[in-house]
Amino acid sequence: MRALPILRRFGTLIGFALIVAFLWWRLPDTFMTARNWLNITQQLSMLTVVAAGMTVVMVMNDFDLSVGSMASLAGIVAAMLFSLGYPIWAAVGVALLAGLAGGLFNGVLVGVIGILPFVATLATMTMFSGAAFIVSGGKTISGRVIPEAFGNFARQGLEIGPVTVPNLSMVAVAVVALVWVLLEQTTFGRRLYAIGGNLEAAHLSGVPVRRFKLIAFSLTGLSAALAGLLYASRVASANPTQGSGLMLNAIAAVFLGMTMSEEGEPRVLATVLGVLILGVLDNGLTQMNVDSYVRQILVGSIILVAVSVSALSRSRRS
Amino acid sequence: MAVPLLELENVSKSYAGTPALRQVNLSIGAGEVHALMGENGAGKSTLIKILAGVVAPDSATIRVDGKAVQIEDAASAHRLGLRFIHQELNVVPALSVAENIVMAQGYPRRGGILVDWQTLNRIAKEALERLGVSHIDPRTRMARLSTGDRMLVKISAALLSSDGAPARLYVMDEPTAALTREETGKLFAVLNQIRASGSSVLYVSHRIDEVMTMCDRATVLRDGQSVDSGLLSQITHDDLVALMTGRTVSEAYPPRLAEPSGKIAYDGHGLTVRRGEIVGLAGLSGSGQTELLRTIFGSPARAWRTGAAYVPKERRGEGLALGRPIFENITLPHLGTLSLGGAMLMPRRERLFAADRGEDVRLRAASVKQSARQLSGGNQQKVVFAKALSGDPSLLLLDEPTRGVDVGAKFDIYSIIREMTTKGMAVILASSDLPELIGLCDRIAVMRSGRVDTIVDARLTEDALLNLCYGRGPNAEAA
Ligand SMILES: Nc1ncnc2c1ncn2[C@@H]1O[C@H](COP(=O)(O)OP(=O)(O)OP(=O)(O)O)[C@@H](O)[C@H]1O
Ligand SMILES: [Mg+2]
Repeated sequence: MRALPILRRFGTLIGFALIVAFLWWRLPDTFMTARNWLNITQQLSMLTVVAAGMTVVMVMNDFDLSVGSMASLAGIVAAMLFSLGYPIWAAVGVALLAGLAGGLFNGVLVGVIGILPFVATLATMTMFSGAAFIVSGGKTISGRVIPEAFGNFARQGLEIGPVTVPNLSMVAVAVVALVWVLLEQTTFGRRLYAIGGNLEAAHLSGVPVRRFKLIAFSLTGLSAALAGLLYASRVASANPTQGSGLMLNAIAAVFLGMTMSEEGEPRVLATVLGVLILGVLDNGLTQMNVDSYVRQILVGSIILVAVSVSALSRSRRS
Repeated sequence: MAVPLLELENVSKSYAGTPALRQVNLSIGAGEVHALMGENGAGKSTLIKILAGVVAPDSATIRVDGKAVQIEDAASAHRLGLRFIHQELNVVPALSVAENIVMAQGYPRRGGILVDWQTLNRIAKEALERLGVSHIDPRTRMARLSTGDRMLVKISAALLSSDGAPARLYVMDEPTAALTREETGKLFAVLNQIRASGSSVLYVSHRIDEVMTMCDRATVLRDGQSVDSGLLSQITHDDLVALMTGRTVSEAYPPRLAEPSGKIAYDGHGLTVRRGEIVGLAGLSGSGQTELLRTIFGSPARAWRTGAAYVPKERRGEGLALGRPIFENITLPHLGTLSLGGAMLMPRRERLFAADRGEDVRLRAASVKQSARQLSGGNQQKVVFAKALSGDPSLLLLDEPTRGVDVGAKFDIYSIIREMTTKGMAVILASSDLPELIGLCDRIAVMRSGRVDTIVDARLTEDALLNLCYGRGPNAEAA
């Protein structure tokens, strides 16, 4: 009986430690090295940015299925503008604005019209994806049209002593910090949590629920677009499906994080741990040459175990 | 002496180290209506949940007919003939009234497969009629019912005699908190039937008068420990209150401190409220009191900004985010002034503020960081109240604000309201508790079919007010 609350709060953390210990044991030479961890953080930076943005809407009990398509679309928009000769700042700016606008559109559908987020963002997911195909003509945009400086951004980093912290990792950390301040330190975040706790009570307490949904979805769209740009920079190209893996992983990361809080609410730092669990597993299993399909099954199972343990410990009689 | 139907001995339960029940004893005879009394947070619901197998006690001996039994889960409680109506209504809003009523025993079938809707609805109708309820259609969706009607449905469901284990003891946790006087009367008729049939009732209520008229004996919980009141016919109302609170609450309503100032605080919808005045909204349930309050409140964001505050009727549905800490619930409408520049949180200051406001209304919580879910029902109501009072409102709108609040805390809340009216606050109070309206208000607006019918001076008798609610003259013979 006494062990249950502890398991509920820290089960996922303990699980993470076990995974790390296991991989360290199996990969003694390569896993626990600064280089590998910097590599992991770089690999995970896109997912981190999307998951942090996803946390914002999930705090209100909503979610956004369109982030993957939005990431692809943003990459395509920027690449297209590059190929038309626009400077980097303009292309990046327009791509981010597209993310903001797409998110706002989701917010209107969910907050103003009142469509269930599942349905609304499923529809916009398809729309954004279609738009990415139309803009790009279905092709990958790469090569000389992508400015060198844009591709270099992902390859470079900040040298701190012997290690180089990748730019991508720093962007991800900055985004997480911003979202953390927003959710945990501002009245905006408090009101978002209030909406998630009880929408009607929040409304009657004077929280402008509709406006908050618009803003929250816009931020999620913006983060998705940013992730898309990071991705495009990393591969120095853009294709209309390159963000598609992000959505499910982002939602999974938030869910993993939710297993760590008392009342099961999303917290951005917990989301980051969720991202790390997914990323570390992927990194380690890849190094161990585990077949990618087996990897998928393993990752899926671990998400299920974490969420089940949390659900079971909650439903036990107190 | 006959063997008691149910005996509880040395029941103890702590939450995170804080004792809620300390070696509580309770014994109920066959054919007895036994009251379980105590202030908010005294442990009544916890004791009931232990009996229902919903909460695991740290220690407990339970005997039925003198034989020790184990209650592991809801099913074993059911087999022992225990039936429960919990304080926080557990209904399935998406299903019909009839389905909610028969849920525990399973649907009647046709040919073993198809649901026999006709029989289902008939069973439900009969169950409701037993309580004298005819205004609820068994086919309505539960979601569309008011709290009072939902309670009636739950009571009907519990009363529905099921096959298998016959009902021996009905446990009712504040069944009348959301009922009108009439509905309460009908419930009492049923309780008398139960008593006559030799079954028993364990009855929780904060309405002392109800308990004094309806119950045979009481067990009072205080500081987690139990006291047997003995026969209620041998003690007075005040004795019982003293047992519960440890103090004598002689007057139920604090005296009027000042006359209303004369300046108009609200004018509209046939209602004029002056600053410093308390105007009551009376009427049969569903006569539009809630709607009128909502209309006056208008857009919540603007209303709070301009000094209005609102205590909605349903604390769990409309008043609280149960999963959030107490202090966040209290400060939510006031974040603008409790933060740096309206943007950055100052949690420490918020917590101090919330703790102070909580103290004003006698909130009983281990810490304001606890989630609201962990509070007793009455204490949750106090949080909603503290939230409304916190911004020093100039217009306070209250919809059944003291539902489930204990006598002592009620008196304190009334005192706060009174005191704030001397500073010019105007109050509109909707309540189905007629003594509360008469005791607290300056004037009472009687509502009928959605609008204010008449406005009278609050110095009138309960019967006169009831007559007005029915659209009769104040002096008509009560039907
Ligand atoms: N899940 C929980 N976690 C922590 N504390 C709890 C929990 N449930 C109840 N408590 C505490 O146990 C005590 C008893 O609560 P209980 O609900 O039994 O009171 P009650 O007598 O029914 O009060 P009320 O008249 O307000 O309904 C309270 O102090 C409450 O805060
Ligand atoms: Mg209770």
